[in-house]
Amino acid sequence: MKSTNSVWRLVAVREVSVKLRDRNFLVSTALMLVLVVAAIGIQFAFAGHTDTKKIAVPNATASKLVTAADRMADTADAKLELQPRQADSAKSVTEMVSDGTADAGLVRSGDGWRLIGKSSRNTDVATYLGQAVQQDAVRRNAAASGTTLAQLQKGSQLPYELLAPNDDDEGAARVGGVVFGMLFYLAALLFGMAIANSVVEEKQNRIVEIIASAIPLRQLLIGKIIGNTVLALGQVVLLSLVGVGGLLVTDNTDLLGQLAPGIGWFVPFFLIGFLALAALWAVVGALATRSEDVQSTSAPMTALVAIVFFGGILTTGVFQAVLSFVPIFSTIAMPARVLAGDAAWWEPLVALLIALAGAYAILRFAERMYRTALMQTSHKLSFRQALRQGAE
Amino acid sequence: MLRLDRLTRRFGGHVAVDDVSFEVGDGQLVGFVGGNGAGKTTTMRMVMGVLQASAGEVRWNDAPVTAIDRREFGYMPEERGLYPKQPVLEQVAYLAQLHGVSAHDARERGTALLDRFGLADRAKDKLEALSLGNQQRVQIVAAVIARPKMLVLDEPFSGLDPGAVDDMVALLREFTSTGTPVLFSSHQLDLVERLCDRIVILSRGRVVADGVADELRRSGPLRHRLVTGNDAGWVRDLGWLDVIDVGGDTAVVQLAAAEDTDRLLTEALRRGSVRELAEIVPSVADIYREVTA
Repeated sequence: MKSTNSVWRLVAVREVSVKLRDRNFLVSTALMLVLVVAAIGIQFAFAGHTDTKKIAVPNATASKLVTAADRMADTADAKLELQPRQADSAKSVTEMVSDGTADAGLVRSGDGWRLIGKSSRNTDVATYLGQAVQQDAVRRNAAASGTTLAQLQKGSQLPYELLAPNDDDEGAARVGGVVFGMLFYLAALLFGMAIANSVVEEKQNRIVEIIASAIPLRQLLIGKIIGNTVLALGQVVLLSLVGVGGLLVTDNTDLLGQLAPGIGWFVPFFLIGFLALAALWAVVGALATRSEDVQSTSAPMTALVAIVFFGGILTTGVFQAVLSFVPIFSTIAMPARVLAGDAAWWEPLVALLIALAGAYAILRFAERMYRTALMQTSHKLSFRQALRQGAE
Repeated sequence: MLRLDRLTRRFGGHVAVDDVSFEVGDGQLVGFVGGNGAGKTTTMRMVMGVLQASAGEVRWNDAPVTAIDRREFGYMPEERGLYPKQPVLEQVAYLAQLHGVSAHDARERGTALLDRFGLADRAKDKLEALSLGNQQRVQIVAAVIARPKMLVLDEPFSGLDPGAVDDMVALLREFTSTGTPVLFSSHQLDLVERLCDRIVILSRGRVVADGVADELRRSGPLRHRLVTGNDAGWVRDLGWLDVIDVGGDTAVVQLAAAEDTDRLLTEALRRGSVRELAEIVPSVADIYREVTA
């Protein structure tokens, strides 16, 4: 007689093979793929729209330069429209940029000009305004009896200063964080429910009594968790591949380069976060006596998953930094910080270790409740009851 | 050999199984009888390790039973259930694999057993597509596919059509003939009486009778029926026996000893003709009613 230490593999294989033949699962996966493709398609379509940028200017000369740059963009067929916004002084230009009334500001700087942005540089604005300024400077210098090329070009350089410099494109980081969060949220919810249902199915049919007499319940639990984690991770990888493929096809390689480190960290965090949640979902299933009960026993879990999601994507600053070290919460919060360039190299590593320890504790704790609740077939239990009985 | 040694289970203040001891010897078919709530299912769940005992222990071949031992037990729970949406052969093979049977052997045995129960052509159907009787047959296959060294069957005959009952009986006989102990519970007392080597009667969590069927039947008080040629009322005048019932020419009496039969016959013949004097052997159902009353 073989030992029972690897029976979980049989359980995991069954979970996967049953799921892969489940029509609901296949349809929902296909639907998600369609959504990803549609999202990329929509983004691609929107990218075709003309972008309007407001440029704050302190005087008429600057205003003329903006108008000239707008004409150049138009000539170059760039999808960019530049509009001058009159300001009282150089100081108020800065104010308009920092409060968002204007996307950028053009002010005098010695013999030349200076472009002011808020937190990120817009390449198109810099290109066309730069050309306009250069052309203007060259023309004026030539008119003033241009002697050398160096003199001709004097004042045509355009330094681009940021008031609040930021290494990466903030928008892309934000979107990347939301996408990761969404993937985890969907997987945690869909597969979580699937785990709970698969547990209650066995409990309701009493097949769990046959299984429990054949193998240790821990093996059953491990098999279920691993089987569903493999499925969830597989689905996320599939969606990511389609997403990455979409970005490549739509020529968004810059964005991809920016998202790469985030994706790299997201995978291990996803794996560990999902394992911990999967164990708790198994408890949700064990607490119910019929599949109808899962609706109510799962309420605390659906709430938790939603809090993890919104906590991960909506918080900023210190709150986000704290959450990025809390097990489960770190799944979304830490990769989001990595994407935004806010995390030092060691931070995700430490958070991952904490998440690992947290997941282990949750697994042990969940196993006890699962064991207690699974054999209690007479009525539905609450988390608290299962905990109390498990402690007895 | 399976031995239950002073097995007890309490649920809160309620004692569901109270100090239950009995044996299921190798090759023995033991019927476990008792009303609803008598504690049969609780006892069987403790034997299978699905439920912890509050006190006492289950012994297998003279040692406390282990999880490894139980992996070789076949079990059919009271409330039937397999995976409704999984194909029949696939799930019985899966259960066999959980018991340590190789994937190849599991499929082979599953196919053979399904064939034996006339379900060969349904092997790829989902369980829920089968009739209830056929689902029961699959349940039997699931219990025996791993070739268990001990069978514990909770109400294996309930819900079976007569054909399936015969199949089941034949299968159980096969197991006992190879030395496998079989413990099964049932409400169908006639079936238990016909099949079992031993009968254990449980009432309110306690064993109230345990023995070979014939022994049990004769363990009760010795009663005789006397039918005479005329009114049998005179038996009331005999001081050395208890009269249970007298009606016309028939009397039912309880004797203190077997030798009193001759004495009764002599008395009867002295008063006229005797049509019948016979020992009343109770059925298991009668015994059951008596011990559980």
